[in-house]
Amino acid sequence: MGKLTGKKLILLGERDGVPSPAMEACFAGSGAEVAFSATQCFV
Amino acid sequence: MPNAAIKSTAYCLNHTPELGFHYGTTPYLERHDKPDSRFLADLPRFIQSYGDAARYAPNLAYIGAMTIGQLEKQPRPWHSNLADAPTRFGKYGEIMPEDEFLGLLDICDVFDLVWLETGFAESVREKLLVHPVLDAEVLKRLKAGRAAADIGGEIANKGALPLFFAGEVVGCCRRAHEVDETLASHVILENLACKAGSVLALLHLLKKAGMGPGEVDFLVECSEEAVGDMNQRGGGNLAKSIAEIAGCVNASGLDVRAFCAAPVNALITGASLVASGARRNVVVLAGGALPKLFMNSRDHVKKEHPALECCLGNFAVLLTPDDGTAPVIRLDALGKHSVGAGASPQAVTTALVWDPLQKAGLDFADVDKYAAELQIPEITLPAGAGDVPEANAKMIAALAVMKGQLERAAIADFVASHGLVGFAHTQGHIPSGVPFLGHAVDAIAAGHMKRAMIIGKGSLFLARMTGLSDGASFLVEASAGGQAGSLTRDEVKTVLLDALADLADSLRNAE
Repeated sequence: MGKLTGKKLILLGERDGVPSPAMEACFAGSGAEVAFSATQCFV
Repeated sequence: MPNAAIKSTAYCLNHTPELGFHYGTTPYLERHDKPDSRFLADLPRFIQSYGDAARYAPNLAYIGAMTIGQLEKQPRPWHSNLADAPTRFGKYGEIMPEDEFLGLLDICDVFDLVWLETGFAESVREKLLVHPVLDAEVLKRLKAGRAAADIGGEIANKGALPLFFAGEVVGCCRRAHEVDETLASHVILENLACKAGSVLALLHLLKKAGMGPGEVDFLVECSEEAVGDMNQRGGGNLAKSIAEIAGCVNASGLDVRAFCAAPVNALITGASLVASGARRNVVVLAGGALPKLFMNSRDHVKKEHPALECCLGNFAVLLTPDDGTAPVIRLDALGKHSVGAGASPQAVTTALVWDPLQKAGLDFADVDKYAAELQIPEITLPAGAGDVPEANAKMIAALAVMKGQLERAAIADFVASHGLVGFAHTQGHIPSGVPFLGHAVDAIAAGHMKRAMIIGKGSLFLARMTGLSDGASFLVEASAGGQAGSLTRDEVKTVLLDALADLADSLRNAE
């Protein structure tokens, strides 16, 4: 069991930084549940 | 494979602080939620005046009144190290003041939706009479104006939006339908502002190219506005409406939409139409995004930083067949961020930079400049969005390290020599690589640069149809000789048959 097992994640990404789908890929298999994931754009 | 030449480019800014203060999304929503907010009360103090906007180095670089080299040498912060004197016109276009832009809005309105007050309309007409690219045919579209009382009535009773200059109501933009939200006054105003910006850039382009409006064959418009009605919300062909105002009677057009990736996609589309011979020439163009004016101003005001997002940006590019002289868009080495490419910065940069380099047989260092997202850092840094052009250049450098083409210690040098400083307003589609095209074409034509890569990225996820982003890229370089220097299969056959006939003749004579 990883230390994120059972945790809920809120992922906020940025298009020209790290977008949220990339973060979701990193956390896949971590045991955590992605409660919210979104990418924003400020330009 | 045939390519398309970049024959001419035009870039303009419309200094529109009052449109931005009233109808930019950030102040507009604040006014809706908290009309007495401190932010709204303070914002006007931080807005850049026209005089200062016309002395602001990034703006001067955008309109071609300053080179990229000069911009790099300009002391920072640029907002407090202004040029000595304001410059309205540059090599590529102009910075148009707001009163004249409201006149242009009226000119671009063919449904009597923009009403300017009679005296204001007359004062604008006098100014536009001496404008270098607005001829009598265009100017005759400027209406005589309406009484202030009639304008007040439209605003008070019929949902029209007031238009301001120097703090006074000088006109209004009316709704085009009583119920249809896609024809509401704020939508009409956004669409007309975008159209007007494109018209201005197109007229500058035609003048610079020495081309009559009747010579334009086709336009591809690539802004981020949706024009239509409630039965076809994004029905489109803003391009043709722009052509109509500019007098391009022999042209038609279409619109390309892909958020901020649209201009690069539109240039690839236009270049393909020209290179295939389907269209004699294509103008790719876009006006600005009114809702994005003062988009980051909340952070600017909080930090007592100038609210610099006071200009609409627009551009126009003329594409013609490769004649062996003008720089070309290479159609054999395009970048594309595919559905399955992945969302990580490494995956995106691989798709948009590495893949086209591979196709062209080039190394990272073979591209002099990478133009990806050219937002002015003085706008994005105080808002917490970082230096976007620099971040993109770092990603490209990091990928070059991963591919074994750059030493890790040389990343900073690579970013400095192959990256760019940002000089475009946060107008969404406008900063996405394309503002560098004018400078790149000039530098390549002068022999100061070999090639550049133009990269556009689009935030498709904002439309809630997909979680994906998008991107596209192309290389610009000197022509390899043009279509005049290449031969078709039939021409090759003819040459071979002629040679064989000559050989037969010489053998016959030898006998």
